[in-house]
Amino acid sequence: MSALLLPALAVLCVLLGLRARMDVYAAFVRGAQEGLRTLAGMCPYLAAILTVTALWRQTGLTDALTALLSPLLSAAGLPRETAGVVLLRPLSGSAAMAAARDVLLTVGADSRAGRLACVICGASETVFFTGALYLGEAKAGSGRYAVPAALLAYAAGVLAAAALV
Amino acid sequence: MNVVFCIMLLAGVVYAAVSGRAELAQQALLSGAGEAVTLCLSLAGAYAFFGGLMGVLRESGAAGALARALRAPLSRMFPFAPGEERALEDICLNLSANMLGVGGAATPAGISAMRTMAQARGEGAPVSDAMILFLVVNTSSVQLLPTSMIALRAQAGSASPADIVLPTLLATAVSTAAGILACRLFAAWARRRGGTA
Repeated sequence: MSALLLPALAVLCVLLGLRARMDVYAAFVRGAQEGLRTLAGMCPYLAAILTVTALWRQTGLTDALTALLSPLLSAAGLPRETAGVVLLRPLSGSAAMAAARDVLLTVGADSRAGRLACVICGASETVFFTGALYLGEAKAGSGRYAVPAALLAYAAGVLAAAALV
Repeated sequence: MNVVFCIMLLAGVVYAAVSGRAELAQQALLSGAGEAVTLCLSLAGAYAFFGGLMGVLRESGAAGALARALRAPLSRMFPFAPGEERALEDICLNLSANMLGVGGAATPAGISAMRTMAQARGEGAPVSDAMILFLVVNTSSVQLLPTSMIALRAQAGSASPADIVLPTLLATAVSTAAGILACRLFAAWARRRGGTA
């Protein structure tokens, strides 16, 4: 079923474009340009974070820390490999992506831990970054219950992912 | 993020030194950034493809149509204080752009929505329930298609990169619902204590 998803999406986009009587090709090219620009913008962030994740992985610090955390994680139904993703996701999108990539490369893209890492990444947002951005914009005296509520939502998403995958 | 980066870097080097693996640390430091460049290159095709599809979707007016469809349910969902309902248009735009994964269009609308609601309350006042709900829904992610993760999985050699779409969608739904519920409960609690609402 999932193999048909992207072809179906492509067909849907083209049909919507034709119905709107627009230049589908030109819009695709503009969008591709934007996608590549997004990625180019991400690259320096990934360089910073992959430097430290490579350091942690290769010196064995990642293993040591996940071993410490594993009782907590297994209580939540999470495989120990996903610890980095769960901890980094609210802080930074590229850090979580780097951690998810580590999981995919070490235990395989189609393993449970690999799929779960991707689901957690895809089903959540950088809580602290978005929170700081929007609350800063609001020039609010206090954020009240914003951060606890956002973190509760994140925790619910992680637990749901663990139950679903 | 500054603190996280510095702590991670220092902790990694100190751990390597203490456990006698300074050589491994040197290798890792020299290869990490290179890994990022390789990763970006291998993701570039998928980003161009998804970006292209999203470009067609955006210019065909799908995001606008989605924003209009969201209007009625959102106006009921948000506990707007007087004056704040002027932000509804931007909230619809922001959430529809986020659902379609066009983050570039979502952020300006989100910031403008926050600003409008803040103006309705006056500077320095604590954030309102509607503002917090908007923030929480935003941070719980409402993206319908996790394109970066599909790209990452394809690059890592997955047999079916898109098979995470359904569980991701369900987990997103759970987290958004939990966020809305948490907001309701916190807001009711604050009212009961006689705080601002």
